[in-house]
Amino acid sequence: MLGLALTLTAASAGMLWAVVTYGAHRPAVQQSPFAALPLFFNAHPTGVRELAAADVQHIARGGRAAAAATLDLARLGGAALPYVLPALDSLEPQSRERVALALTPVAVRMGVASADELRDGAQSVLFWTRFWQDRAIDFRVAVVRHLTARLAERSLALRREDLIHVDTLAMPALIEALGKVRNEADIARVQRLSSVLSHVTELPERPLPIADVAAAQRAADTWRDFWAVHGSEYVALDGPRRLAATFVETRYGKWLAAVLRGGLGRTSNGESALSLIQRGFVTTACLLLIGLGGGFTLGVVWSRFERSRTACVPRSASLLTGTALAAIPCATLVSVLADRGAGLGTAACLVMFATAGWVSRHLARSKLTARPRSSLTAAFSVSAPLGATYPPIVLSAIVLVELGFRLPGVGRSAALALASGDVNAWMAASLTLALVTLVLRQAADLVRPRAAPHAASRR
Amino acid sequence: MTDYVHGLGFAALAGSLIIAVAFLVALPLGALAASGPPSLDTALRFACDLVSSLPTLFVAAVLWAWAGRSLSYVCALGALRGLQQAWLLRCELVRLEDEESSASGPPGHHSSRPAFSRRRLRAALGPLLVSASFGVAWLTALDAGLTQAGLRPAAALPTWGIVLGARPLDPLATVLAASSVVALTVLLQRVFRQQRAI
Repeated sequence: MLGLALTLTAASAGMLWAVVTYGAHRPAVQQSPFAALPLFFNAHPTGVRELAAADVQHIARGGRAAAAATLDLARLGGAALPYVLPALDSLEPQSRERVALALTPVAVRMGVASADELRDGAQSVLFWTRFWQDRAIDFRVAVVRHLTARLAERSLALRREDLIHVDTLAMPALIEALGKVRNEADIARVQRLSSVLSHVTELPERPLPIADVAAAQRAADTWRDFWAVHGSEYVALDGPRRLAATFVETRYGKWLAAVLRGGLGRTSNGESALSLIQRGFVTTACLLLIGLGGGFTLGVVWSRFERSRTACVPRSASLLTGTALAAIPCATLVSVLADRGAGLGTAACLVMFATAGWVSRHLARSKLTARPRSSLTAAFSVSAPLGATYPPIVLSAIVLVELGFRLPGVGRSAALALASGDVNAWMAASLTLALVTLVLRQAADLVRPRAAPHAASRR
Repeated sequence: MTDYVHGLGFAALAGSLIIAVAFLVALPLGALAASGPPSLDTALRFACDLVSSLPTLFVAAVLWAWAGRSLSYVCALGALRGLQQAWLLRCELVRLEDEESSASGPPGHHSSRPAFSRRRLRAALGPLLVSASFGVAWLTALDAGLTQAGLRPAAALPTWGIVLGARPLDPLATVLAASSVVALTVLLQRVFRQQRAI
């Protein structure tokens, strides 16, 4: 089990590399929201402290970069204040005024001053200095958590205003408080918290229909998705959090976080990746069962038949048929010839015949060195090495068939996800296929333990 | 017809290259894993599990996009196929060793003798050669699958995969390409036939 888990972990890293690499070389593929992050290790994770310091520097210097920095500082809002306001004193008077003026949109959003009041630079500096003297105590995690818990519990205008006064600093607590949505009380809570979140992020607020749990859950998920992309920009990365961010703030870390949130993450359609797999697994499992079971049995019978023929014609015909079935991508031909008439039954037969062709070719060329035994024992003995190569070949055939016949299987879902750059759907579908392959290979080892690597000690 | 001729050239060259690279990887690795230290055996199994954990179609799609050039793509595919064949060879060698030991005495009795090892290696090559003979077919099937899934690079060389995977199919070209794949595979099987079937 440990070996299986280790292999799956390594395979998941390879699969993420695969989808990222494929997307990077195909301009048509949609860009992931995490495209800017490194793949597996982030040597320099960036939090609100670093972003705010950079913005302050640019604004203080003035020039072209200052305009973009001003917008960014306004976006960071209250979360940046604990790092920007104490740093004001260290700036030159002119730079200090520039930075204070850049914070005007934040003050307006927080409802602590109007734009007219902060039009003058000196006046603005004075306002922010006094603001920090009076309100610094409110900008603490414990206080913000308390305020959020109160709003989540019950709706009062004052409670909402208290949170708006700390602006984006409340976002981690607000996201956490969204929780699960099961009943009307939860819907009301999500509505209240969404309202504050929309205000501090200046994103449009969508009113939720009453008693619509699914809509409220979608709204909560949308905010969680927003947080997955932008969360680190509103949080200071200190100590252990910075260390964790070297992994969490990577594309692999983001995918893993989405998986841990439940449902194996969400696809680009907003659907849970788990439901995508559940829907496709029946088709793939059916093809796999028939391909593995029927294909192997047919292959054994076939090779027995071929060996029992002494005449050249039937042997050559058998060889040709076996080779043709295993060699040509029959799915593409049959799907076109049969058009819409072909379905799961035809596809299953194709998988079975193709794998039987491949197995029969293999068995026909294997050699027994021991004394003669029963045909079943002989077939079982020579097919032991197939345990290693058989499942991946059957799965590849299944993917081809699913594509050819447009069957809603896991393989087709993986192909479509890879082509469109849908990371969560791709990872879920490809890991399911990988798990199936690995379990089948482990099963082959159990059937014939001496073929497994741990039996190498026999020597 | 031009596509068919181009496809024939690609199939012959790429098929040969894949078989050559795969053998280059498979023979030493498989033989070492079967008769060398157990750690090598475990490492080969882990590598094979990783390579085989994903259907080859997807591995090919990513490799083609990543490698860019068809030559690098074919070499990379050959190396991956070599890993799978190395495990196949290793399994076959272990099986033959089991067969021999159960027939003529305790395990390891003959394993130190070079003559027995050579004989066993020759006997184990059968399935490997069958697998290798499907090299061209495997490449064409992958190509057709990639074409059908829309995962094939637009600027890639014209091959039989396009003929077999494109829609609508050109009946004449399809039959020609399909029968050529089978003919090439049978030819390779004939070339590789050195052993008596069981």
